[in-house]
Amino acid sequence: MDYDVLVVGGGIGGMESSLKLGDMGYKVLLVEKEPSVGGRMILLSKVFPTLDCASCISGPKMSSTVNHPNVTVASSSLVEAIHPQADGSFRASVTHKATYVDAAACTGCQECEPVCPVAVPDQFNADLVPRRAVYLAFPQAVPKKVVIERAGTSPCSGECPAGIKAHGYVALAREGRYEEAFQLVLEATPLVGTLGRACYAPCEDQCTRADLEGSVPIRAIKRFLADRHYAESDTPGVSLAQANGRSVAVVGSGPAGLTAAWQLALRGYAVTIFEADDEPGGFLRYALPAFRLPGEVVERDIQNVRDVGVTILTGARVSDPVALTTRGFDGVIVATGTPLATPLEVPGTDAEGVWSGLDFLRDVRLGRAPSLQDQRVVVVGGGNVAMDAARSAARLGASSVSIVYRRGRDEMPAHEDEIAGAVADGASLRLLLGPAEVVTDSAGRVSALRCDVMRLGEADASGRRRPEPVPGRSELVEADVLIAAIGMAPDVGALAHVLDTTHGRLGADPTTLQTSVPNVFAAGDVVVGASDITRAAGAGRRAAINLDRFLNGEALGPIDALDGRLDTIAHDSVIRRQARYSEHAAVERGLNAGELASFEEIERTLSEDEVLAGASSCLDCGVCSECGSCARACPADAIDFTMRDRTEEVRVGSVVVSTGFTLFPADLKPEYGWGVYPNVITGMQMDRLIAPTRPFNTILRPSDGKVPERIGYVSCTGSRDRTVGNPRCSKICCMYSIKQNQLIMGTLPLADVSMHYIDIRAAGKRYEEFYQQSAAMGAQYIKGRVASISETPEQNLLVRYEDIEGTGNIVETEYDLVVLAVGVQPNPAAAALFPDQALELDEAAFVFEPNEDLQPGRTNIPGVYVAGAASGPKDIVDSIAHAGAAVSGVAAYLQAHRVSTEPELMGVTR
Amino acid sequence: MTQKRRIGVFICHCGGNISDYVDVAAVREAVSDMGEVAFAETSMFACSDGTQQDMIRRIEEENLDGLVVASCSPKLHLTTFRGVSRRAGLNPFQYTQVNIREQCSWAHTDDRVGATQKATGLVRGAVARTAQSSALVPLPVETTPASLVVGGGVTGLRAAIGLADLGLDVHLVERAEQLGGQVASLGATFPDQREGRAMIDELLSELDARAHIAVHTESTITAKSGSFGNYDVTLQGPNGQSVTTRVGSIVVATGAASYVPEPGEFGFGLAGVVTLEDFTRGIESHAGRLHFRGQPVRTVVYVYCVGSRQENGNEYCSKYCCSAAVHASVEAADLDPAVRQYHLYRDIRTYGRHELSYEASRRRGSVYLKYADDDPPVVEMGEGGRLRVLTTDRLTESTPLQIDADVVVLVTGLVPQQNAELTSLLHLPLGSDGFYSEIHPKLRPVETVVDGVLIAGTCQAPKTISESVASGLAAVTQSGAMLMRGVAELDPQVAVVDHDACTWCGACAAVCPYEAISHQVISARDVAVIDPTVCKGCGGCVSYCEAGAIDLLGNTDAQVRALIENLVEVRA
Repeated sequence: MDYDVLVVGGGIGGMESSLKLGDMGYKVLLVEKEPSVGGRMILLSKVFPTLDCASCISGPKMSSTVNHPNVTVASSSLVEAIHPQADGSFRASVTHKATYVDAAACTGCQECEPVCPVAVPDQFNADLVPRRAVYLAFPQAVPKKVVIERAGTSPCSGECPAGIKAHGYVALAREGRYEEAFQLVLEATPLVGTLGRACYAPCEDQCTRADLEGSVPIRAIKRFLADRHYAESDTPGVSLAQANGRSVAVVGSGPAGLTAAWQLALRGYAVTIFEADDEPGGFLRYALPAFRLPGEVVERDIQNVRDVGVTILTGARVSDPVALTTRGFDGVIVATGTPLATPLEVPGTDAEGVWSGLDFLRDVRLGRAPSLQDQRVVVVGGGNVAMDAARSAARLGASSVSIVYRRGRDEMPAHEDEIAGAVADGASLRLLLGPAEVVTDSAGRVSALRCDVMRLGEADASGRRRPEPVPGRSELVEADVLIAAIGMAPDVGALAHVLDTTHGRLGADPTTLQTSVPNVFAAGDVVVGASDITRAAGAGRRAAINLDRFLNGEALGPIDALDGRLDTIAHDSVIRRQARYSEHAAVERGLNAGELASFEEIERTLSEDEVLAGASSCLDCGVCSECGSCARACPADAIDFTMRDRTEEVRVGSVVVSTGFTLFPADLKPEYGWGVYPNVITGMQMDRLIAPTRPFNTILRPSDGKVPERIGYVSCTGSRDRTVGNPRCSKICCMYSIKQNQLIMGTLPLADVSMHYIDIRAAGKRYEEFYQQSAAMGAQYIKGRVASISETPEQNLLVRYEDIEGTGNIVETEYDLVVLAVGVQPNPAAAALFPDQALELDEAAFVFEPNEDLQPGRTNIPGVYVAGAASGPKDIVDSIAHAGAAVSGVAAYLQAHRVSTEPELMGVTR
Repeated sequence: MTQKRRIGVFICHCGGNISDYVDVAAVREAVSDMGEVAFAETSMFACSDGTQQDMIRRIEEENLDGLVVASCSPKLHLTTFRGVSRRAGLNPFQYTQVNIREQCSWAHTDDRVGATQKATGLVRGAVARTAQSSALVPLPVETTPASLVVGGGVTGLRAAIGLADLGLDVHLVERAEQLGGQVASLGATFPDQREGRAMIDELLSELDARAHIAVHTESTITAKSGSFGNYDVTLQGPNGQSVTTRVGSIVVATGAASYVPEPGEFGFGLAGVVTLEDFTRGIESHAGRLHFRGQPVRTVVYVYCVGSRQENGNEYCSKYCCSAAVHASVEAADLDPAVRQYHLYRDIRTYGRHELSYEASRRRGSVYLKYADDDPPVVEMGEGGRLRVLTTDRLTESTPLQIDADVVVLVTGLVPQQNAELTSLLHLPLGSDGFYSEIHPKLRPVETVVDGVLIAGTCQAPKTISESVASGLAAVTQSGAMLMRGVAELDPQVAVVDHDACTWCGACAAVCPYEAISHQVISARDVAVIDPTVCKGCGGCVSYCEAGAIDLLGNTDAQVRALIENLVEVRA
């Protein structure tokens, strides 16, 4: 037996049960789903009828509970299931939810909170004010440890192939913390300016706002961050690890190689990049056209790499990367990309005027491109290179640009923005045309492309429908220049004798990117074939981390940034979570109104205002943005994003269900306007407004922060009301309202307080006296159920009711603030605990006590007891007494079944 | 010269309960200069776990030998901070609690300067007092694994069974001839329609099945001595024979009595004006018609809050009566659907599930008429021997109504039992309402100021059956928590005699209410000796000792003098 008793729920009923059982000598496991014990009581202001402050009563009980030698408290934990065993004991599975904070290290200093850029409604303040994603539940929380709320990985961050924390930098940018945001991107890659321009931004496709007003301009924000940093600083501003004395060679200086070199340099390696070309950058410099990615930006990003000590050797072709390991390099990363253009395999491609897309783009970047003035240009291919070639051709004065592609537009592999850009630049799409022959004129120059007319057949291995010729149909596309951009491939022929180059690519483990030679790793398109720059950057990061592990003798494997992300949260659960969210105008993408003839950038950098507006529309999908600010601020190094949920199986002798209650959701009474009229609040919200740990220093109404002068209470909201399915009385609402009436009159001596009631149910020791005291202090009690509430232009409320004790007329009374005395509802969590044998519920779905009069606390399952409001509405006094009753049952059960952790209890006669 | 004391001082804001009216920073400043003060700090909630952890850390780091917390009443948190001291390795009796909430901030909300000055004096006094403190060690005593239950009603019976199930020996004492109390005579109850008698019978058969319960009917307690964990109780039976037994705890479940209306109160005394209890016991159905005591009944009027919620009588609400009367009307209607029933009420307090019963009553035709608190119904004898009830219905424009009735049911509440002897024998505290008082309704809901003497059921306040039973079982749990470990610690703050100074005049023994003092010859002199297990530390003897030979540990003369001097110094 692990514990004598499992107590489920750490509110007042659960704490009382645990303390008494512990005092009796039983070993107790108390499982609480929230980060702190204390339940609802600790959130209250004062408690009736003594007007003790709730903290003063509850706080020490919370402290006693966690400090009791016989009580083990598991906070932020869930009991998943409890299985009764044949011997009368129970097997339970308990999940300790990841808090992403090492509880042993956290001191509760809360230095993490102010630096967290994510604010969400504070459930411990009844959603009246925001809290941070990293937060201490409330000032008196026990245990006093912060937790991080992570609902999952935000869709943007989850989608990034480079593992960039997109949500993180957006959240930081929203607060104007641009430099921190820039640094967050640098954690992944040095190519901030490049990706800010030329990334295809899968993050934006996944953005939850994309389905609403339009995506947060995530990529454009990154671009702003880069431009701002580069304008202000000459260096990246990162701190390097101490040099570790090892050196690494990186072959190739495209996005994969640059990122790998950067990651290794940050870790203390001496890194040398070998670049065959005259300048570093690979496709960034030689394939992407300047109107998408200016050379200065690439150069500035590469400067980051140089600034962290990486040596870049240009004109240095490496024919045998493995040999580098014998020339002083401890490890090698091969990142040579896909420099070979796939040839168009039709007759006539040797004609004059036929280019490969890569050669064409390279010549354009080097200023060596021919004038295409008055030339008809035909581009073959549907990928991004084809689009870039077409758009470049348009800028070089071509009289017409046609893009010939053998499938349909939907099948084009190019990014949608690129296709749209090409069309906008004047290119015409000639779809379902399969090149068959280059037609030449007498001078041997291309004059046309003869194409087969195609149609789409069955889907092929890639999932795209395979094109097949329509028999007997062909078409002639006239051309003065033909640019073939139908694919690219790695250049690995020379490596075959030292590495695995099957399938024309460099073979490497897809997870670790280790090649057949243990200290040689590979990254980017040389491994996977043509992809995109962001994937390449991610691969560079993966290879670098695994090479580092290899050189440190650690196990290779997945990397947290790419493989260890939490599951991405679904859009609809993000939307559901928003009580309401404001509409945000989508930020204009800032297109430059340049001449088509120019290779000037087609996009401009967003203004700061645009960045702030765009970032502010972020819905914080995963809640925590993973910006890492908390981890940097934590003096105890307690933040751990790699923490995951952990499930434990325990054997226990008996169970106490003390899962408490839920409050009636006031929006189910739409005629009272909660959630619509800002100045209609619930009783729990009012309790927060008057609690010692209240969010403001006085009672303020939500709409305008005014101190209300006329406050009205509406009793029986959600109780004694068959229209909402609850004919019962919730018992506590009259008394908590009366308590609040008194506290309000104490705080705001000039305020008028009225309560609309059906019956005042002040039933309990000193409750009637408490009610009389309230009336004597001046609170008005008006009999009659409230029919509806409406709002005046001043956002005051008109409460409509029949004045049954007065005139008998239907009247409306105006208040500045209305408090709904919401009732008590069952917590469905109780029944869910027992999958094997149903825990019996009463007709209102509270836990049923088969012999409530003589066996209070006993349920239908032997050995399972219920304590507190899980069995029906109870005030604190009743809950404590009920817990006492449940405990006596538990102790009797344990005595009878002898299923105790200790064979005998001292001093007991039996 | 001993080393100077090192005392830590924590001053609590209590949210704002204290700091709204006491300048806690000024208090901290004012005590910081005292030589013994190692440090003084303020905190939002001294009792919160975070601050407790802080205190433990500071006590250890600063190597403190004294602790002062200025917060609320020691009734609330003395044990809390003694526990903190213990966990930090500081002797708990070198801790002093200063009450600057009830005694300063709450008492002087109109005088911030004065409240602050008073708090300062009290805290300085407490520091000086703590500087004179010495380490005291509680006296461990073995406890007796047995309990005495006083009262054989539903609460006492259930408690006795519960105690036996924990493995404790039980003595159940009942002054009446039969066990069962008031519930035994109840009719069907909500919600299961179980008869009171059936419930009691179930408990009696459970009782019989347990060998460890000794039942003493027609018996009373005549003497009690000893202290918590080991009380010696003398029970006197029907024939005058006495038995003395030792128990660890006492559960008082003496119940409450039904209110008996004054003659003439709502027509009480007139034929047909009866209490709810009488009504439920007397109704039956003959040939489908409701009969009360054999007479047919066409109209019933219920008058609520008889003996309860009265400005110049019992001010409290008796809690159960609304539900009971509403349920009775459902029963009556089920016996005879044609019966007319009128309920004259103030508020219908059918809380929780009882609301379903209220709904059922209205669905069966009961009419509910609200009368004003200051305009109660009048019940008189009308013509033809039928009762006439005059009332004003607040809910129909205060229409005056006359209802002719066959039976008027006075819905009477509960009043405290008359148990003066028991109350005084057990030193049970009474509240202003005449019911027994717990220490704190939420912190220690079944404990009284007398250690080990617990209260349960309606002797504490009006309750329903299930609420009474729950509190009885809570008392079982509390007994278990106190006795199942077999050892208790007695408060070491007891009186001690300086045998060199004592002249044995006997004055101390004469004033001791606990018979803790006797005399012995020590070193050839007759001197007083005090039994530390019996002494309660009340200090009565100290002031009577002319030789000044007695001191009270934890409240020594030196401590009290130091406190007064520092308190006064501030005022000067």
